[in-house]
This record gives sequence, C-alpha cells and structure tokens, in this order.
Amino acid sequence: MTPPAPGRSRRLSDRWLAVAFISPALLLLLAMSVFPLLWALYLSFTDYSATRGGPARSVGFGNYTAILTSAQVHQRALTTLVYVVGAVTLQTVLGFGIAYLISRRTHGRGVLTTLFLVPMMLSPVVVGLFWRFMLDAQFGVINSMLGSLGLGPVEWLTRQRTALISLIVVDTWQWTPFIMLIALAGLTAVPKYLYEAASIDRASEWFRFRTITLPLVWPLLLIAVLFRAIEAFRLFDLVYILTNGGPGVSTETLSFHVYKVAFLGFNTGTASAYGILMVLVVIVLTQLYLRYLNKLKEG
Amino acid sequence: MRYQQRIGRLSVPGRKVQLATAAMLLVATTMVACGDGQDDGGQASAPKAPATIPELTNDPLTLSFIWFDWPPAQALEAFANAEYKKERPNATIKVNTVPNANWHDAMFTQFAARKTDFDIAILDSQHIGEAVTNGNILDITDFVKSNIDVAAYNPYLLAAYGQFPQAETGKRDENASLYGLPLLGDTWTMIYRKDLIGDQPPQTWDEMISVAEKCQADHPGVSGLAFHQANGSDAAAVTYNTVNGVYGGNLWDPKTRKIEGVLNDAAGQEAMDVLVNRMKPLTATGSGNWFIDEVNAAVAQGKACIAFNWIAASGGLLDPKQSTLGSTREQILDKLGFATLPSQKTNLVPLGGMGMHVSAYSPEANQVEALNFMKWFQRADIQKKWAAAGGVPSRTDALQSPEFLNAGPFNQVYADSVPRMRDMWNVPEYARLVDIENTNVNAALNGAKAPKDALDDIAKEQQAVLDSSSRRGGGGL
Repeated sequence: MTPPAPGRSRRLSDRWLAVAFISPALLLLLAMSVFPLLWALYLSFTDYSATRGGPARSVGFGNYTAILTSAQVHQRALTTLVYVVGAVTLQTVLGFGIAYLISRRTHGRGVLTTLFLVPMMLSPVVVGLFWRFMLDAQFGVINSMLGSLGLGPVEWLTRQRTALISLIVVDTWQWTPFIMLIALAGLTAVPKYLYEAASIDRASEWFRFRTITLPLVWPLLLIAVLFRAIEAFRLFDLVYILTNGGPGVSTETLSFHVYKVAFLGFNTGTASAYGILMVLVVIVLTQLYLRYLNKLKEG
Repeated sequence: MRYQQRIGRLSVPGRKVQLATAAMLLVATTMVACGDGQDDGGQASAPKAPATIPELTNDPLTLSFIWFDWPPAQALEAFANAEYKKERPNATIKVNTVPNANWHDAMFTQFAARKTDFDIAILDSQHIGEAVTNGNILDITDFVKSNIDVAAYNPYLLAAYGQFPQAETGKRDENASLYGLPLLGDTWTMIYRKDLIGDQPPQTWDEMISVAEKCQADHPGVSGLAFHQANGSDAAAVTYNTVNGVYGGNLWDPKTRKIEGVLNDAAGQEAMDVLVNRMKPLTATGSGNWFIDEVNAAVAQGKACIAFNWIAASGGLLDPKQSTLGSTREQILDKLGFATLPSQKTNLVPLGGMGMHVSAYSPEANQVEALNFMKWFQRADIQKKWAAAGGVPSRTDALQSPEFLNAGPFNQVYADSVPRMRDMWNVPEYARLVDIENTNVNAALNGAKAPKDALDDIAKEQQAVLDSSSRRGGGGL
C-alpha cells in the first residue's frame, strides 16, 4: 500500500492549484478594471489631456473642487436625479404589477414572460433609434395616434419637459421587464401554504397581498431597484441617441456630461475626477442601501 | 480541521492584497495631490513632411481616409479608386466613415492613442488648430511650396483648409504654415420652391422671411422655412453664425481673443432675435432637432417653401426616388430653385467643406503615398474630373469649368459664394466653443432659454474657455 503524500507538499499543491485557477481572472480584473481605476485616480489630480500629450501637472484637488462647485455639474446632477427617481419608480410599479398579474395566471405564463422580456434584450441604441422615429413630431406614430384621437402634435424630444419624460418612458419600456423578472422570481418563491392558511382564515385579497406577498418579495425587489438605480445613474446611450442632451442641455445626464468633458475638450484629468466622484456616489449609496437591506432581513 | 486551516491560509494573502491595494491608492493619491506630476513627453508640435515626395512603394498599399458618412464620402472612394488607380495600380483607396456626430471623436481619440487606422484625416477647417497644436498632422508647408500651384486657388480657400494660425476672413497669410489641402468646398445654398414663391429668389434676408411667411400662410401644411437647429455637430451653431454674419455681427475678435462683448453686441442680439422670433415660428413643429437629413427630407416631401442646406448634401434632392416633387429630375427642377444666400447688412455666407491632412502616426510608406495622392488630386485635370464626379473642387479654373458648373444646379451657387465666405474659430478649443454655441442656440430655438440669455451665456462661456489656459483644475467643465 502506497503511503499518503506528505501533508505539506499536498497543501502547496492545493495552493498552487488555487492560484492557477484564480490568477487568469485576477489578472484580467487587474488589467481591465483595477489598473484603469488607479490610473484614473492618478490622472484625476492632474491637468492631463490625452490629446495634448504634454506633462501631467499636478493640480491637487483642483479638479474635484471645480466639479463639486460647478453650477453646470449641479444642473446635470439634478437632471440625473429626476431621471433616476422617475424611471426607477415607474419601472418598479409597472414591473411588480406585471409580475403579480403574470404570477396569478396558470396558463401561458412562460410565453407572456418571454414576450415581456423582449425589450430588455434589445440594444439601447436600437431602442433609442426606433423610439426617436416613433416620437418624431412630424411623422412619428405616437403623434399620428394622438392626431386620430383629435389631439394636436406634441414635441416629444424638443421641449424641455417632454424630452425628459420621453427619456423616462423609453427607459421604462426597455427595463420594466428586468424588475418584472426579479419580482416574478420572488412571487414564485412565496410558499403556497401561507396563502392556503390565509384563505382558511378568510383573509381578503388585499390583506394577503399586504401581509404575505409584499413583505416576502420586498427584499428581492429592492435588489432589483438597486441594480436599476445604478444603471439609470450611468445613463448615456439613450440620451445620446434620443435627445443628444437637448433641448439645450436640459436632458444632459452626468454620464453624458463626463463624455463631453472627456472627448470634446479632451480634459482627461477633469473627466477622470468626474468619473471617480460618480463611482464614489454609487459606492456610498449602495452601501447605505445594502445596510438598509440587511436590517430589513434581520427584522 | 485541515480544511478550515487551508481556508484560513488562503485568506491571508487576500487581506494582504487588500492592504497593499489600499496602501498603493493612498500613496498614489498623496504623491499626486502633493507633488508635481511626471512629464510624459514634451509639448507636441506638428512634424514636417518632406518638400519632395520620396520614392513610392510598388507593394500593394491601402490608403485610408476617415470622414463622416455622407454622399461625398462614397463619391470620393469611387472616384479615387477609378482615377488614382490608373496611375498607381498598387494603391487602393478606402474611405472609412463614421456618423457625423462621432466624426471629431473618431479622429481625435485615435490621435490621442498616437496610432491611427487612417492615413488621411478629412478635417473640418476648424479642427486644424487642435490637430496642429497636438502634433497630430504633418506640416506640409515645404511640400506645398514645391508641388502645388498656390496661385491657382482663391487664397482664402487654400488658407481655410490648411493654414494655422487661422487666416483673416477672405485672405491667406503667405508666411503661415500649411497643414492640409482642400478636398471638398462647400457652403449653404438657399433652396426655394419656384412653384410656390416664384422664379426669383428673395434678395435680402428680411425679404426672404416675408416671402416665407406669406408662403406658409398661403399653403397650409407647408412650413415657411427649414434649417439646421439640432444641438449635435455644428448644426444650430452654423445657423446662428450665418444669421449673425448677415446682420453684421462678429463671432469674436481673433487678435485680442475676445468673445464677450463682441458676439453679444447689438448686431449679435439682433441676429439672435431674427433667428428665434422671426425665423423659428416659420419652421415645422418639432423641427428643433433637425439637421442635414431632416431638412432635405422636408424639401423632398414638399413640406418647406424655403430651406437652407450644405451644397455638398443637396444632390439627393434631385433624385426622383427620394422626392415627391416629381418623377424626373427635370420635373423636380421645375419646382426647386437653388440660390446664394440673401444678403442684409453684409453678404457673408458660411464656409463649409473639408481638407485632407496626413496623419503623423501613419506608416512612412503610407504618408508618402498620401502626399502623392494630394499632389495628384490638386492637378487641374483631376480637379475637373472630381467636379464632374459630383465633388466640389477648390481650384479657380475647376470652379469656373463647364465640368463643374454643369454638374449640378447648385454649383453656380458655390462659385458665386466663394468670395463671400466666413469661417468660425479655428483654435484648439474649437470643439468646446461649438458645443457651447450649439447647445445654447438650440435651447433658444426650443424655448428652453430666452434668446438674449442664450447669447450672453454663449459669450460668457466661450470667453471662459479661451481664458481657461491658466486655470488649475476643472478644465472642460
């Protein structure tokens, strides 16, 4: 009988194996994520410009103070906030509502779910382009429908209020299915016996929803809201295609503004600081949110 | 137990990595925040092209251009492959195109990487300053002296597409350096419906507005005017600059680099008032994001009495497949007329078009081929052929040739407009200046800002951009 291999060399072998398995992913992460982040952090303290290519002179916290005190940035932050709150609220209400209705069906649930998921699978650029055509004031199908109802044309993309509403509507059209999917998973996981017990007690539909369905689905729904809020905070593509930030700069989001700072004037240092600040905002808000979520679970 | 121990051991390097990363972050942050940054190279300047063309390669070679996607790009590729190949059979011409809105970014992000997948950048006249200052394109002053007959051009055209620092309007500084040669000339044409307003185009801007007003009132469903209003590219900015010029305004004082108080003087305010309060009400509902294609579509569908568009983009208007105005080119031309812009206090028109500029990062063999192509392209016989193929040449003899004047009904408009042209600012800060103007004019046109506020904001913000070179931090906001 062969004696077992000495413990020490086996441990080394295990460690090597672990390192070998992890290192490709780790290297990729370092190269594609950690290094650019550190480099951006370095550049954020300089006046470096990618096109000018001269010396990267240190400006201390100049970029950060300029961004935090800029009226232009405050305006974009407010636009982004209105957009995030509007879009995510609408998506949550609709997504949960649709999921709730689907969960109550016994037939055709799979087909309905698949159909509702189609918008989410499309490229935002494609979605932006066809909504741009549909919302066109002159030949768009939306105004044509309004016309057939005797209503006048609406300038969806070229008026201050309607442009932001249009962005919210288009984003909602595309991303409500995501909330719906998560909510549906939560609804399906609610144990049936709870409803059966409630039925025996002759609990009303509203009572069952309020005391069984919502509390059990709520934590999962909040995670979906978190993902959507982070995504919406970074919105760029739909703005670029639908309104290009207009009219004027009234639909320019923070991400769109960073793009302009980075690529119109190639102010790489300022753009890096802007990006770092956006990452920090997301991290801080996510932490607060996760703490709330944990408290909710503990409760 | 062994399992737990192993997990414990593996978790230690993780903590170490975390600590090391945090320390690196801290050190990097502190060093950069407190100390001077590292120099990664001296101030760039444009490298020089040789005065005479070195020996060309006989190996197969693809000469790549970058432009935005529009009919002249396809025309250039077809023309160059048909004609240049006769002299250089080993060379293939490829015109890479990007959407108009990405044109600047597509070129300058590659310039930033110091590596380009194109040999010839087709730059807008206003991009030259940025490219020259960053050392992205070749200085071809000596090459032009030895190979190009500069007397064959209107001096301002040669200056507009190649000279930096920018020339005075209508002139060329013979001592200034050249960085490009003309590829495609362009300006705005007034497109008018002869069947709706008569054969004679309006002669003054005020008359044009009155005629459009009457036409709109007389023909429900047809708007009086159609012009560029979008906030992308240079759409709304060119529209305001055109009206500004016609009403005697100035964009800036290039000698003192003053914009505030110049752009928003009385003439500038009057121009903004005319544009927003007199012209905008004559446009179609929702036209606040229109650019080249949308204006052409309105004309082709018979929805506008008078429109303004770039000549180089107007060819499609005569295509019966794209028009509801007639089933033949002749029928369309019975209804559409093309004229130079009306004048008012001045007769200025916007300078459009682009030049060819050799990438400083292109391989040497391709740079040599690019210079050879540019020399070939500026030959009198080739310029006439380019005109016949649908291009707009810049040599005076080609502009006056029957090949050009008979190629399209708007070509005479271009020839007549050349002495009237005015350009925007050709400075390294151009991209930001034009964005400020675009967004503010677009805001005024769409009711998001009062016209006076918009003009004052443009002047203030553009001035801040020009004055921001000494600011420490926050550049670009």
